[in-house]
Amino acid sequence: MLEVQGASKRFRGVKAVSGASLEVREGEIVALIGPNGAGKTTLFNLIAGAFAPNEGSIRFEGREITGLRPDQVCAAGIGRTFQIVKPFADMTVLENAMVGGFRGTADLRVARRRAESALEALQMQALRDRPAASLTLPDRKRLEVARALATEPRLLLLDEVMAGLRPTETDRMVEAFRRLNRETGITILLIEHVMRAVMALAQRVYVLHHGEIIAQGEPAAVVKDPKVLESYLGAEAFE
Amino acid sequence: MKLVDLFQDWLTQSPARSRNALLALLAVLLVLPLGLDRYLTSILILVLYFAFVGQAWNIMMGFCGQLSLGHALYVGLGAYTSAALFHHFGVIPWLGAIVAIGVCVGVASLIGWLAFRFGISGTYFALLTIAFAEFTRIGFDHFGWVGGSGGFFLKVVQQDQSDWLNLRGGPTMFYYLALALAVLGFVVSALVLHGRAGYFFRAIRDNEEAARAAGVDTFRYKMIAVQLSAGLTALAGVFFAFFYNNLFPEQIFNMGRSIEIILAPIIGGVGTLFGPVLGAAVLTLLSEGLTHVLAATGHEIPGVKQILYGVALAVVIMFMPHGIWPRIAARFGFERQARPKTDASEQDHA
Repeated sequence: MLEVQGASKRFRGVKAVSGASLEVREGEIVALIGPNGAGKTTLFNLIAGAFAPNEGSIRFEGREITGLRPDQVCAAGIGRTFQIVKPFADMTVLENAMVGGFRGTADLRVARRRAESALEALQMQALRDRPAASLTLPDRKRLEVARALATEPRLLLLDEVMAGLRPTETDRMVEAFRRLNRETGITILLIEHVMRAVMALAQRVYVLHHGEIIAQGEPAAVVKDPKVLESYLGAEAFE
Repeated sequence: MKLVDLFQDWLTQSPARSRNALLALLAVLLVLPLGLDRYLTSILILVLYFAFVGQAWNIMMGFCGQLSLGHALYVGLGAYTSAALFHHFGVIPWLGAIVAIGVCVGVASLIGWLAFRFGISGTYFALLTIAFAEFTRIGFDHFGWVGGSGGFFLKVVQQDQSDWLNLRGGPTMFYYLALALAVLGFVVSALVLHGRAGYFFRAIRDNEEAARAAGVDTFRYKMIAVQLSAGLTALAGVFFAFFYNNLFPEQIFNMGRSIEIILAPIIGGVGTLFGPVLGAAVLTLLSEGLTHVLAATGHEIPGVKQILYGVALAVVIMFMPHGIWPRIAARFGFERQARPKTDASEQDHA
């Protein structure tokens, strides 16, 4: 469904992502992990169209999406969240989600229906009329997801939506994603540091380090991979 | 069809009391000139004029977050276009207004394209709007076809009968014209705000990057906001030309005029539907009232209006940073959203 091939992105000569390739198949839940500064969010930004890659190509459902604008990538069927939450602060929770709900339609009722069901999936209906500015951080994280979901994407990119959540909240969100994946068949690619969530959700894991994919496979196997441990803990830990 | 849907949505979604209050206000405004003298009528004309042009500005800044400090540009271009067509070719102002809208939308598109294509935003965008207004003013100073700096004049005729076709007539005619504009501004604003464009505008205002990620073509929608605002402001210019009958570049394109336009929405409540209307009423009535009282007591203080504007602005910014209207709306239950979910509010949605 999603194929990233040899994607590279340099910022003033510094390679943030270098020759990264990954593939996500339809209906999968795939995690992208790696230490801070590994280039995970940059890779997301390349997929979502926030930046164009210097090299490489990105294909979605067989269609070249490299270099498309973010709104075009969204229209193609990819929804994304931001690690640093970006709510529409002066709009209500429902209105925030409705902005996403207008994808490909000008019909208020369609947008409202999509927004309502996105809020329902994240158990946020009780907050629907609250201004987004009044939400707590965990609720803002959920709102990020709801807004992306309201665009009815076939692929959902989640950037650390569980960071800062309490374990019970994490479990609730994991359950919400599982249910969505099961019931709507939505494909999910997530960046996550919370290993509890990664282990519970992901069928496959990619590990990014210094902008390169250094390992991939099943979660249980990947976390035992010496290269992965080294990237997180530093080479000294093994000496 | 879609307009009908949006109108229905407004009817069913807005609280009944705000709907009724609005209709009552309109009814009062419709019969008001019958009992007023020329002087009071002319003050109400000013209120309605500033309400309209404030609403036009509010679409761009209040809804979409694009600050224009050069809206006098569109008032001036609209005024000169329609006045010149009328004076030189005898084109009736109703047709002239269409040309004026075209001119203003064209110029707004140029400014918007330059700014949004090259990523100029915020303060720099505001500076760009000032720059365009300023060099247009200088250009018109040397534009002999419309009188240059010496001014451009429309022939004033016997004011007792109303010639609606050519917009020649007395204060009562212009009162109803200004009322029609204010209503037009309100209806357009309401339809825009409650439709998809309104959601997209507000999303852009609150966070452009997030709006883009949620599927909003931000360039396109910022252009629409600017064009819509400029097109409406062109009509204010047409009104200005035929009401005052004289146009001077130094006055109409003046930076002070641009500021005057934005005072009403800021004091009434930026981004709200009724704020610009309320702000225009408060500001105009206060300043005219003060001038009247001072004159009656034998005082004449030059610049007292500007001082009052400054004080009003300072008071509102300090005590009601969101403007007067949100306070009043919350107090009297006129608001549509952002209230705690109660049984009563559920009934409003039903």
